[in-house]
Amino acid sequence: MTTAPRAEKLTLFLAEDEEGTAILLKFLLARGGYTVVHAADGQQAQTMIDQMPPPTLVLLDIMLPYLNGLQLLAHIRQKAEWKHVPVIMLTADSNERDIEQALAAGANDYMVKPFNPRELTARLQRFVKVAS
Amino acid sequence: MDAGWTGTSAFGSMAQVGWIVTITIHAFILLLVLWIIVSRVMRRSTERRRRSMVAVWRPLLAESLAEAPATLPSVHPRDHVLFLYLWNSLQESIKGDASGQLNDVARRTGMDTVAVRFLHTGRLRLQLLAVATLGHLKEVSVWEELVRLAHAHNAFLAIEAARAMVRIRPKAAIPLLIPLISTRRDWSPLKVMALLNEAGADLVAAALAQATVSAPPPIAARLIRLLAALRSHYSVPIIRQLMNEQELAEDVIAASLFFFGECSDPRDLPMVRVYLTHPTWYIRVQAVTALGKIGLEEDEARLIGLLGDSYWWVRYRAAEALSNLPSMTEAKLAEVQATLSTIESQEVVTPFLAKFRATKTATALPAA
Repeated sequence: MTTAPRAEKLTLFLAEDEEGTAILLKFLLARGGYTVVHAADGQQAQTMIDQMPPPTLVLLDIMLPYLNGLQLLAHIRQKAEWKHVPVIMLTADSNERDIEQALAAGANDYMVKPFNPRELTARLQRFVKVAS
Repeated sequence: MDAGWTGTSAFGSMAQVGWIVTITIHAFILLLVLWIIVSRVMRRSTERRRRSMVAVWRPLLAESLAEAPATLPSVHPRDHVLFLYLWNSLQESIKGDASGQLNDVARRTGMDTVAVRFLHTGRLRLQLLAVATLGHLKEVSVWEELVRLAHAHNAFLAIEAARAMVRIRPKAAIPLLIPLISTRRDWSPLKVMALLNEAGADLVAAALAQATVSAPPPIAARLIRLLAALRSHYSVPIIRQLMNEQELAEDVIAASLFFFGECSDPRDLPMVRVYLTHPTWYIRVQAVTALGKIGLEEDEARLIGLLGDSYWWVRYRAAEALSNLPSMTEAKLAEVQATLSTIESQEVVTPFLAKFRATKTATALPAA
């Protein structure tokens, strides 16, 4: 899994509360050439969304403490600078209701945990290509 | 003189006892303080060691998902448990060929042998860790031991062993596990569902549906609910056939109607409609719920009729089903509400009208 050097730096905003998964994702994403900005709960994520410039991509876990991923997604879609950023939702198991709700609320894609690292990288890459 | 002497002697003895008690208390306090200090130092050193172990192995394990490093450090015996926790937590987060890369790391560091040893310790914590590890490693050599542990009295251990069996040989595991899934009421339905999904819904569904046919009513109902969650169409014909049998238990009818709703096959619509007027209220509830998922415009009148049912749950599910019909709109539901003759039936429609309005507001928001 080698990565070609990029001309521009890609930023990915990650909201994930489970420490092990967050570490794994940060590792995989950093390896894929992304600068990862990580929030460990919903409240922290909301504060960061309000303060930072829009990233290239957003990866949101649906089950987060304080504010869940769906609430964060609604927040993102209401912010003028962030509302066009592609958002990928992370959901545990294949909870269809969560997935339906997320897609209806404006998520661009979803990944079911446990995930295949190659599949995650490929999906993210698809959005980066579209964005560029 | 004698009395004075005796008094002084008694006082001396008491002082002596007092001293002994004081020294003992002070010694005890000193020992306690020492024990606290030593245990704190030991805890800190353990924490430091754990942190440095995690700092070395977490990136190595993550790196091995892409490409396993050529050389790996050895794992000190006192870190075996921690290593297996890290390794298993990573295995639970991923799927695909990356899992095989992690297995390679475990075998190269000798953790497969360690896990087999843990399995035979008889200590629950180590056994759970071993069972999870050996399942991920697909270690066929421990199959018989896992079959034995799947019958363990402890539900956690038994279901973890069952999960490991499914990971190792799913086709062989399912026939062995169905009798256990049927009878172990202490197994969490969520864990059972995870296990069945891991085996593959279609592989499991046919076997589970066959077991349903011959099972006594309470067990059959439980199995049908599991089948409903699997939503595999392989089991639909078997449950349809079951529903055509005479003198079915009410639990089985209710579970089957729930199943038809979850599978959402329009061919089951006539069967579902038959049960809308069943004398048992919870069967009507399941029929109404299923109709909300597969019903058509022509079912509106049937559901409106059930808004006047004597049972609150039937009325509530009828209102919910009505609002879920593809032909239903907010205006139409408001019109239905206005025509209802009782307060009970009118009130039960209100939350679903509110839901229509809330959905409309939510979809309007991003555009604004």
